[in-house]
Amino acid sequence: MPSSHQSVIKVEQLAKTYGKGENAVMAIKECSFEIFKGETVALLGPSGSGKTTLITMIGCITEPTQGKLYLDGELIFDQHWRINDTRKLRRQKIGFIFQSHNLIPFLNVEENITLVPLMNNTNPKEATLKAKELLEYLGVENKLAAMPSQLSGGQSQRVAIARSLANNPKIILADEPTAALDAERALSVMRLLKKLATEQDVAILVVTHDERMIPLFDRIIRVNDGYVSEEAKS
Amino acid sequence: MISLAQRDIAHSLGKFLTTSAGIGMLLGVVLIMIGVYRGLVDDANILLKDTQAKLWIVQQDTLGPFAENSRLHEDVKYQIKAFEGIKDVSALTFQNLQLYRNNQPIRVFAMGYDIHSFYTPHLLIEGRPILANHFEMIVDQKTGFKLHDEIVIGRDVFNVVGITKDAVSSSGDLMVYFSLPDAQKLQFLSSNEQIRNDRARGIKTTDTTTINAIIATVEAGADLKTIGQEIERWKHVKVFTQEEQSSLLTKNLIERSAKQIGMFTVILLLVASVIISLIIYTMTMGKIKEIAILKLIGASNGEIIKMIVQQSVLLGILSFIAGMLFSHSLMDLFPKRTILISTDAFSLLVIVIIVSILGSLVGVRSALKIDPASAIGG
Repeated sequence: MPSSHQSVIKVEQLAKTYGKGENAVMAIKECSFEIFKGETVALLGPSGSGKTTLITMIGCITEPTQGKLYLDGELIFDQHWRINDTRKLRRQKIGFIFQSHNLIPFLNVEENITLVPLMNNTNPKEATLKAKELLEYLGVENKLAAMPSQLSGGQSQRVAIARSLANNPKIILADEPTAALDAERALSVMRLLKKLATEQDVAILVVTHDERMIPLFDRIIRVNDGYVSEEAKS
Repeated sequence: MISLAQRDIAHSLGKFLTTSAGIGMLLGVVLIMIGVYRGLVDDANILLKDTQAKLWIVQQDTLGPFAENSRLHEDVKYQIKAFEGIKDVSALTFQNLQLYRNNQPIRVFAMGYDIHSFYTPHLLIEGRPILANHFEMIVDQKTGFKLHDEIVIGRDVFNVVGITKDAVSSSGDLMVYFSLPDAQKLQFLSSNEQIRNDRARGIKTTDTTTINAIIATVEAGADLKTIGQEIERWKHVKVFTQEEQSSLLTKNLIERSAKQIGMFTVILLLVASVIISLIIYTMTMGKIKEIAILKLIGASNGEIIKMIVQQSVLLGILSFIAGMLFSHSLMDLFPKRTILISTDAFSLLVIVIIVSILGSLVGVRSALKIDPASAIGG
């Protein structure tokens, strides 16, 4: 359950339309919801339903067509971007976890994790210390100098989680983080995310297809053909 | 900050070095072409510099023995020497010859000179100058002949008394030297049968005292222009200063060759530029996913541009080093002289760096278009 009721993600009448005129396709129809600090929320829906569009709008990658977006209490979008540098916002407030870990192959584990903090001008020693702490927390502390190609699927995903946490984000956006893992490892990663949300006070929004993971989420948001609806947990 | 360019290169070092070596070979060919041009220009002036003459006196209305046929009577040298301001003179003959060594033909340029004049081949590295008026010769070491070798030319046998180094004609042929009488005999003396035939035609002379040019030194402080004008006015010959003769050689005679080489060099540089651009573009396109991830996690455009441009410039510099090694290891294998000078190499390095930066712009443009959203999803 959320540790507090401080809203970290808030969308109001947010919508996205691709194309114009007769060719216009409304990928996300007006939707409104809030995600709070410490919450783990699942974003469920079939392929092509608009999940990725929604997560990229929240991640300030895709510009919404209308509505309002608040991140960590700050108005980010209202008819247009309200901030000058969306990338800066991403590297300061958002952590990303991808389906296939997406570690940078030419950087070792330590460099993958410290890259974003160093871009935020964090002291290199502090960034390395933080990377070591995170790897220890995630149980892969002996992989600091390893290259991504030397890691197993589960280890890679843990390193990816460490990378997403390295900048002390308020929000973690995860795109099917367990899709490439077997059931046991998938469950382990999801439990870890859940633990992170409560212990690190982070709001986690997870795009998933995996119905087996549903019990681990605090709430479920369903996307179907662009319509976004909140679903009560059974 | 972590250097993304360095890490990426280190990650695929073998591929990067192989690519650099490939481009390096191309740049090496560019350097050799420039070296061939330098060699051509330098060769053109070797003979002129070696004479240490101030004035060249040649047949009237001709450009001299290197550009056109020039014939003078040998005794004109005495008349020239009598002009005020002239210090010394030497009569010269020039002709192409084909020598044979181990039955292999060697094309040489023969120069006959007055052994009692101021001129002597200064490029001599072994043996001695010609002292006797007959049957002695000096050869360049690249002909392969050794000191005291005996060479049959025409009806006579010549003894090699001296060896020169890097003595070549304006067209790059190896030089050999004879005394003036021997050279005149080789060039102007007809065979007995020819003389008989000429006599039957009413031609009486078998004169071999013809020369191709006279070179002269002048007294200190003498005005070359004035002396030249005086000689031209009274002796009906053409007079060039050493600088004019040099200019004739470099501008008139080797200009077309130089332009040809210049064109090749420009084309090679263009090809190298296109290849560098394509490689950088391909390298960038090979990192679409990584660039999308970098953008997604918040890397600025500056970081991404820096990565691509740094890689590009490093590729250019490594290629240049490979090109230098390649050209220096091959330059001595070329039959004509190839001169690699540091200013040319430096100019090429600057061009390569500029080309690398320009070449990376295509990659940068493509990288900036990559949608960070493409990192999301399978």
